[in-house]
Amino acid sequence: MKIKVLNAKCQGHARCAATAPDIFRLDDDGYILPGDIEVKPGDEEKASLGARSCPECALEIEE
Amino acid sequence: MRPVPAHVPPEMVGDFSLFTSPGMDRTANGDPQAAAAVALNGPRVFYSQMNTRDGRGTWVVTRADDQRRVLQDPETFSSHRSIFASALGESWPMIPLEIDPPRHALYRSLLNPLLSPKRVIAMEEAVRERAGVLIDKILANGTSCEVMDDFAFPFAVNIFLRFLGLSDDRLEEFVSWANDLLHGDDEQRPRAARTIVEFIRSLAEERRRKPVDDFMTFVVQAEIEGRPLDEQEVMGIGVLLFVAGLDTVAAAIGFDLRYLAEHPDDQELLRREPDRIVLAKEEMLRAFSTVQMIRVATRDVDFEGAPIKKGDYVSCASMIANRDPDEFEDPEKLDLGRIGNRHTAFATGPHRCIGSHLARREIEVALEEWLARVPTFRIKEGTAPITYGGHVFGIEGLVLHWS
Repeated sequence: MKIKVLNAKCQGHARCAATAPDIFRLDDDGYILPGDIEVKPGDEEKASLGARSCPECALEIEE
Repeated sequence: MRPVPAHVPPEMVGDFSLFTSPGMDRTANGDPQAAAAVALNGPRVFYSQMNTRDGRGTWVVTRADDQRRVLQDPETFSSHRSIFASALGESWPMIPLEIDPPRHALYRSLLNPLLSPKRVIAMEEAVRERAGVLIDKILANGTSCEVMDDFAFPFAVNIFLRFLGLSDDRLEEFVSWANDLLHGDDEQRPRAARTIVEFIRSLAEERRRKPVDDFMTFVVQAEIEGRPLDEQEVMGIGVLLFVAGLDTVAAAIGFDLRYLAEHPDDQELLRREPDRIVLAKEEMLRAFSTVQMIRVATRDVDFEGAPIKKGDYVSCASMIANRDPDEFEDPEKLDLGRIGNRHTAFATGPHRCIGSHLARREIEVALEEWLARVPTFRIKEGTAPITYGGHVFGIEGLVLHWS
């Protein structure tokens, strides 16, 4: 599973990291770091929940 | 009421308004967010003839997805309105809220570090301490209290004053300014606005003369584009902080405690399993959102069949979108364990509430400390909280009782 990160859409809500801090890494201001996220086996559910919590729809789940 | 502009097709005029619809005025035992959600029974976009505090008409965008598109497109839907300054008959922006990209980013990146998730962690201890002190005082005084005056406002205002670097001495004064500004009549509003401007001006002056380690010192020393902020920028930032941080956090705490008082099962659940509070608070933020975002069209644009003209106001009311059934399953039902809850109580787009991380932590801590210290509580018999809609939704006269 892969999460596509649309950095231009991130507005620093930090909901993804509140759900799964180990999967979604933020910069010092609370915005997501650039780069798509390769989800480790076993982390899929948390990653999916984190992605779905983004109010901007800035995280797209790719199977 | 102002006439409907000629370019608005008569069939697109709706009778809903956040100011005049049923349940929006002061109502005993009211539920203004549920009352606002009736707008979802209508079309995706319609025109409301009286939908701002100063009596202007706005387009009303009701669906969560459509609101997201408006708020994520500041080039078409600008937030430059000078809403505070207009109360003084002046025209200058609150910063960063009423500045559009790309300049917006200059101010936003200047201020972001002051309210980042990391910074908020450092503030938590003081926030928790304050909640504990206030609640213990309430408990020492008896078995009931009025939540807004005894807890929610003093709590939110104290944290705000601490952030500004001021002591608690003038707390009541601040509450009354904020109250007059947000909920006062045509005389109280400009008077409160002038008082706040004078206060910020003199505080900025003091910090220029004698810097300390606080927010206003940071602002008067800050630079953008290699120059210090000018007088108007300092004012725009100071005023926004004042307007945005007081009423909203207190209202959220009030609506949440009212809900828990009226829903003993949910109250008991959070008491028993306080780890659930973080997630539960998100659901209550969704269900009891208090703010409508208004944008101004920068050009003529057709939006889902609405012929929006340059200069038209477009309202994105969070309490409506947050009950959109296309976005939230069973939106009228509070599910304290709801997951994938991408509510927009703090707006979306570049103007996402910069204080959201602090506000979230304040609300969590308030609920955690309240439930840990106060025995099972309910609305005191013979009393009824008053709720209202309008510019910022709120609640007062919330008397809780425990034994």
